[in-house]
Amino acid sequence: MIRLRTVVARKLEDAPVGTLVEAIPPRDPRLFEEQPFDRSNAERIGYSNYSYWGSALRAFLRRPVAVALLCVLAALIAFTFIQPLLPGQYPATLIINHPLTKRQLSSVPPTLSTALAKAPAGTPLIARPYNDPEWAAVTNLVGVIQRRVKFTVVEYAGGWLRVSSGGAEGWVANDFTNKLKLPGDPSDVPYDAQSNFPVNMFLSPNDYTNAGNELFARRADLEMDASGESAVTIRETQLRILPYQNGFWFGTNLIGQDLWALVWSGTRTSLFIGFMVALVEAGIGILMGIVWGYVRRLDRILTEIYNVLDNIPTTIVLILVSYIMRPSVRTLIFAMCLTTWVGMARFIRNQIVIIRDRDYNLASRCLGAPLPRVIVRNLLPYLVSVIMLRMALAIPGAIGSEVFITYIGLGLPVSVPSLGNLINEGRKLLSTSQSYQLVFPTIVLSIITISFYMIGNAFADSADPKNHR
Amino acid sequence: MARYIMKRLTAAIVTLLIIISVVFILVRQMPIEGYFDNFDKLDANIVRARLVQMGLTDPLFTQLKRFLGNLARGDLGTSARYSVGVPIRKILLTKIPVSLQLGLSSMALSLLLGVPLGVAMARSQTRYKARLWDAVGTVFIVFINAVPAAVYHIYLQAFGSRALNTSMLFSREQPLTWVLPILSMSLGSTAYYAMWLRRYMVDELNKDYVALAQAKGVTNQKVLARHVFRNAFVPMIQYLPTSLLYTVSGSIYVESLYSIPGMGGLLVDVIRRQDNPMVQILVIIYSCIGVVGLLLGDMLMVAIDPRISFAKKAGAR
Repeated sequence: MIRLRTVVARKLEDAPVGTLVEAIPPRDPRLFEEQPFDRSNAERIGYSNYSYWGSALRAFLRRPVAVALLCVLAALIAFTFIQPLLPGQYPATLIINHPLTKRQLSSVPPTLSTALAKAPAGTPLIARPYNDPEWAAVTNLVGVIQRRVKFTVVEYAGGWLRVSSGGAEGWVANDFTNKLKLPGDPSDVPYDAQSNFPVNMFLSPNDYTNAGNELFARRADLEMDASGESAVTIRETQLRILPYQNGFWFGTNLIGQDLWALVWSGTRTSLFIGFMVALVEAGIGILMGIVWGYVRRLDRILTEIYNVLDNIPTTIVLILVSYIMRPSVRTLIFAMCLTTWVGMARFIRNQIVIIRDRDYNLASRCLGAPLPRVIVRNLLPYLVSVIMLRMALAIPGAIGSEVFITYIGLGLPVSVPSLGNLINEGRKLLSTSQSYQLVFPTIVLSIITISFYMIGNAFADSADPKNHR
Repeated sequence: MARYIMKRLTAAIVTLLIIISVVFILVRQMPIEGYFDNFDKLDANIVRARLVQMGLTDPLFTQLKRFLGNLARGDLGTSARYSVGVPIRKILLTKIPVSLQLGLSSMALSLLLGVPLGVAMARSQTRYKARLWDAVGTVFIVFINAVPAAVYHIYLQAFGSRALNTSMLFSREQPLTWVLPILSMSLGSTAYYAMWLRRYMVDELNKDYVALAQAKGVTNQKVLARHVFRNAFVPMIQYLPTSLLYTVSGSIYVESLYSIPGMGGLLVDVIRRQDNPMVQILVIIYSCIGVVGLLLGDMLMVAIDPRISFAKKAGAR
């Protein structure tokens, strides 16, 4: 190959311009010899200390925001897989019931532990039968005074009144809901009163119940009396809504499932959908794009197909396919992949059409570089930025589409937790005190989508050889 | 030019035919419950008789031919579950004006917000004092593009209605309840206009003619307004017809969220009620809007930008 160049050069110098064409003799076997493709020679000529991936990485590292978000995202994705393995996690779809009443623990606000209240030492409590060696079910609810039943106020202590009613004595909260009718000077006890609503009577001036339900305390912290019906706290005691330590960090939802577990399980589902859509889009898109760009005979047909597919709004395809097929993760992935690959294929095709006949590619081909080498070394670096950008944007796009499809009512069944499901359930509670059921899923979702968007853009910029210094 | 338009028109019509056929065939695969409002109570014989009466037992091709014929005559069929027996055309005629009104307002709003934002962002490339706008705009664009629309619409609805002290739902009589849906619908387009206008304007700013104009002594203001903005807005024009047409159909999500009696809300409603004939027609209408919007956009580009000549493009590869 090197010899070829020198021969032509000599000929050009020697011959007068007009006779150049005739001056080149028919191929002389002594002057030319066939050179097979030689890998080591190719490396030697192609060598420079410029490394494409190294430069791309350096350009990416120059963007602190993108790097920080990449760390956040990596940690978050890793955590979604680690979370079920951590100790003390509730299964995502488990409906948590109160052990005694068997009612669902619905809409428990976010807490770090199950402890609802702290009772000081010496607090008298009523013990309820609960068969557990470690935990006891306790309450300080003596009973309920029915509405419009007269009771006697024995002691007045501001927010709390000590009353006696029907032989029992206890404390009653004195707030506007009770509407206790008080005479002019409330400290002038005893006097009679009555309420228009049923009033809870407690053993001590504190409400140690969870909406009327029993709380749980360690047996070690209590001194039970012989009958097992009442107890006194020995030391300061945590009263818990459940007989275990693990709290509901994100609270529970309306049917008593742990939102923390649900959010991470939903994130897994949504990320799975996102990654699958991105992979399928990239796989089919790159394949079709290369075929489209390289096989000239197929160009017309594929362009026509593209024109048809590109005209249909993606949302409508998504809606139609989800409407027709049974709702499942697979359906969603299929519906989202059905048209998105078209855009990727067009990008690849356009790039290949532009690049394939450039001089350096022509040269490579003339020098006998095999097709895989041309694709990997000459074409891929120009395509990587676009491919990565589209993949990175496909993931938040897919997650967003899932939320949308769930809202329409064509999404995953509630038994499969996903961010779309959680947001759709939480949406109805935004104006209530249970708005945390929307806030937590949306925070996680926004972190994921914003990170992918920023990282994708940053990576696309740094993968573009034009931006390499 | 005329040949190009003819070619595009034919292609669009063929595309539409393909889309209609595919949608029709796909919806035929749905369970037959979607054609009856009281399927559970019906006897199997009655169901069969009604199916025959509706022509749903005919061969697929016969059905498709009849459907296309009806469409050509403007007969869109009747609703099966949404409001039983009412012609779909009649339902749509009550819905389209609402969507049109809201959609046009939101389009106007997004142009009013997006174009100045894009210009301000591009200007801050030249004047270092105004970097703030670029930062604000970038944050806004990233937020709107990255966070799913389904999420920020919910929050806008809840907090906006509290701030404006209005009802969360749309009511035709109270103009204040119009503000939030229009704002919601315009956010996406606003970000779109701002992002692309900025990018095109920055591209233009780096061109030689800008340097020449400045060397001649033309003020920055004039360069931006007379040269850069005009040239940068041309590629944006392509998007206008599509966005105009989508206003007719309304934003599916926003309309449903605020229970606006428009086309988008209608689509969600009929999907939830599994009204096959209506889903079919609405999906076809939405696809038509996509096709026609792109077609108009391309034509508008040809009409406005003298640099685009399709005579050359037809032969080029």
